[in-house]
Amino acid sequence: MTSEEIVEKIKAGLAEKIQDTALPQGDAVVFVEPESLPAVAEFLKNDADLKFDYLSDVRGVDYLLEEREPRFEAVYQLYSIDHQHSIRVRVGIDEDNPTVPTVSNLWKGALYPEQELFDMFGINVEGHPRMERLIMPKDWEGFPLRKDYPLTTETVAFSHNRDFKSELVKSKPQTR
Amino acid sequence: MSVTDQGLLERDKDTMTLNMGPQHPSTHGVFRVILEMDGEVVKTAEPEIGYLHTGIEKTSENKRYVHVIPMTDRLDYLNPPGNNLAFCLSTEKLLGVNIPDRAKALRVIMCELSRIASHLVWLGTHALDIGAMTVFLYCWREREMILDLNEEISGVRMMTSYIRVGGVAKDATRPWLDGIRDFIEYFPAKVDEYERLLTKNPIWLDRTEGVGAFTREEAINWSLSGPALRASGVNWDIRKSQPYSGYENYNFDIPVYNNGDIFDRYRVRVEEMRQSRNIIKQALENLPGGPYKDPDNKVSLPPRETLHTSMEALIHHFKLVSEGISVPAGETYVPIEGARGEVGFYIVSDGTNVPARVKLRAPSFMAIPGMCKMMEGCYIADVVGIIGSIDIVMGEVDR
Amino acid sequence: MGLIDQAVDAFETEINNLKLNVKDAVEAMDYEYSGSLYDTVLTTKLGKVVGWAQKNALWPATFGLACCAIEMMAMANSRWDAARFGAEVFRASPRQADLMIVSGRVSQKMAPILKQIYDQMPEPKWVISMGACASCGGVFNNYSIVQGVDRVVPVDVYVPGCPPGPEALLYGVIKLQEKIMMEAGTDKAKKRVA
Repeated sequence: MTSEEIVEKIKAGLAEKIQDTALPQGDAVVFVEPESLPAVAEFLKNDADLKFDYLSDVRGVDYLLEEREPRFEAVYQLYSIDHQHSIRVRVGIDEDNPTVPTVSNLWKGALYPEQELFDMFGINVEGHPRMERLIMPKDWEGFPLRKDYPLTTETVAFSHNRDFKSELVKSKPQTR
Repeated sequence: MSVTDQGLLERDKDTMTLNMGPQHPSTHGVFRVILEMDGEVVKTAEPEIGYLHTGIEKTSENKRYVHVIPMTDRLDYLNPPGNNLAFCLSTEKLLGVNIPDRAKALRVIMCELSRIASHLVWLGTHALDIGAMTVFLYCWREREMILDLNEEISGVRMMTSYIRVGGVAKDATRPWLDGIRDFIEYFPAKVDEYERLLTKNPIWLDRTEGVGAFTREEAINWSLSGPALRASGVNWDIRKSQPYSGYENYNFDIPVYNNGDIFDRYRVRVEEMRQSRNIIKQALENLPGGPYKDPDNKVSLPPRETLHTSMEALIHHFKLVSEGISVPAGETYVPIEGARGEVGFYIVSDGTNVPARVKLRAPSFMAIPGMCKMMEGCYIADVVGIIGSIDIVMGEVDR
Repeated sequence: MGLIDQAVDAFETEINNLKLNVKDAVEAMDYEYSGSLYDTVLTTKLGKVVGWAQKNALWPATFGLACCAIEMMAMANSRWDAARFGAEVFRASPRQADLMIVSGRVSQKMAPILKQIYDQMPEPKWVISMGACASCGGVFNNYSIVQGVDRVVPVDVYVPGCPPGPEALLYGVIKLQEKIMMEAGTDKAKKRVA
């Protein structure tokens, strides 16, 4: 199916569940609210014409700097191996209580990227069997990929600022 | 263990927890897995990642598009041109630029060379894990040739950054093309040599056949991709299903096997090396002429010699170097078939010269839960075989 | 005469005989190889001999972190052949290794483990910091990367490059050998095993 047909099919099948559809650069994109995500996901996977049986990725995006509502977004990339078409499902997530239901009951491959959503953005994934840190250490504070989390660069001493460099060397922790 | 009334030994129901990694010679990087062992059989395998977390995605949000390309090299460090290409394709899709045919062909050659190099590292280390040392030395002998070709075209052995937004970094040189011609003549005999060492070797067969098997449904459900997916009988290759960079013009086969065990993954990758060699051969024979990068100077740097004569070229050069490319607002994702599976960058642009979000779809990262699922019920000795057969690269797992 | 005195007498005679034999043998040797003794015997400090042995048998730990680990493997392979410098015996257990090649970026999560592996290595031990990331953080100046592995363990040789080629790493190994030889027999070498 082409992207237009996919979008039309979803509009026909799930009119009240989806917020909006779009076709940026020819990709099929569906906007969904977190509450209706399980129903939409089940329809996408089980419908005979769509049959999106392969979950490629789940990504989180933080739109803090663009000042739009809602702040977070989880983006699901789905493929159909048999029909060879793809779709992107964008789920907007509120800033106050960032929660999204899990899809790992449908696609087991979602387990890890959903855990990463929690680790990097602090988005709670409801129904996920293991909601804890994945990549960062267990006692890490903050969610690194949020836009308000600083990159935390360290000042680098170059040879042209000698005094500063010697100070840095002095304050360097002892190794032995 | 405890002794029963009859004096017989009875096994406890207790299990033993065994830690493997992050410093382990056979986990292919700093991967850690905590195994719950029932005797010599793995009951559960709990992966632990993040020991190589580099913050590349966060750093990319603070760098211009052009500056992100060298960092993509360091994600999947066995297949750098594939990562460059994935990032450039996503950026180019947002920019809406057209890539000249010659640049497309050069990109294909570079990516297929790196696929061969990556599979050679996989074969060498995988065989070493299972106990075949000779293959390791043989594979690196051929890999050095590819690295020399990389050095000729880009100046670096591994992290080429050769593929840029709008084309490639520089035109193909005569020694490079000659070197590739020599290599593709030389290489097929060497693949046969690896196969003579392994494919019918009874030790290799005992260690690989029927071990870590995944059915078609499981492989799809656990989001495996690339050779691991094709070994489970799924005919899914992005080069065929969503062709990019002119792959639709080449004639090649996708090897698919049905057992989904370690041995089939081995066969898929060995056959892929031959197919990659065929693709390079076709690309070389039909290498188009013309420019090697987009002539539009809003995207790619103008030729060096025009800077002395053309005011416009100088302005474009200055703007590109000091400010970088401004990408129209939007979000996009272009998948490509890397050496380990589907690689792609999800890029969100806010219309400036710095990306708002860069997310790598990493095949190794997605494969890890499935890989640990495969380990359940296997013997402890097969764990390293399974890790090797999925061919994880921790650089792209932890990012 | 007691048994003991008899035994002492016999022993003394035996020793005298041995002395005479040795004297004869040395005289014969002097006669045969007159002058060559000074060409075949060297005198040196014991510490130098130990250092010489250590530098020619550096056993690195199998400890690959990131991209540089691939080039480290290339160094051990037949083309670059680290065996020429006695540094090809990669040991999976840190207990059997005396050289740690930190090959790649060290994250905040990895740093304690790296320190633990270093502590597990028997003394004397050396560290080569391979590549820009291990030496100073490289391009990754951010929240997750330790800006230089020398904040965690003491480094002997820094090898620049991103990643350094196998030839660069071999040069680093040679520099380390020079360092070991320079320190051999001095207080610095004693401190290493203290």
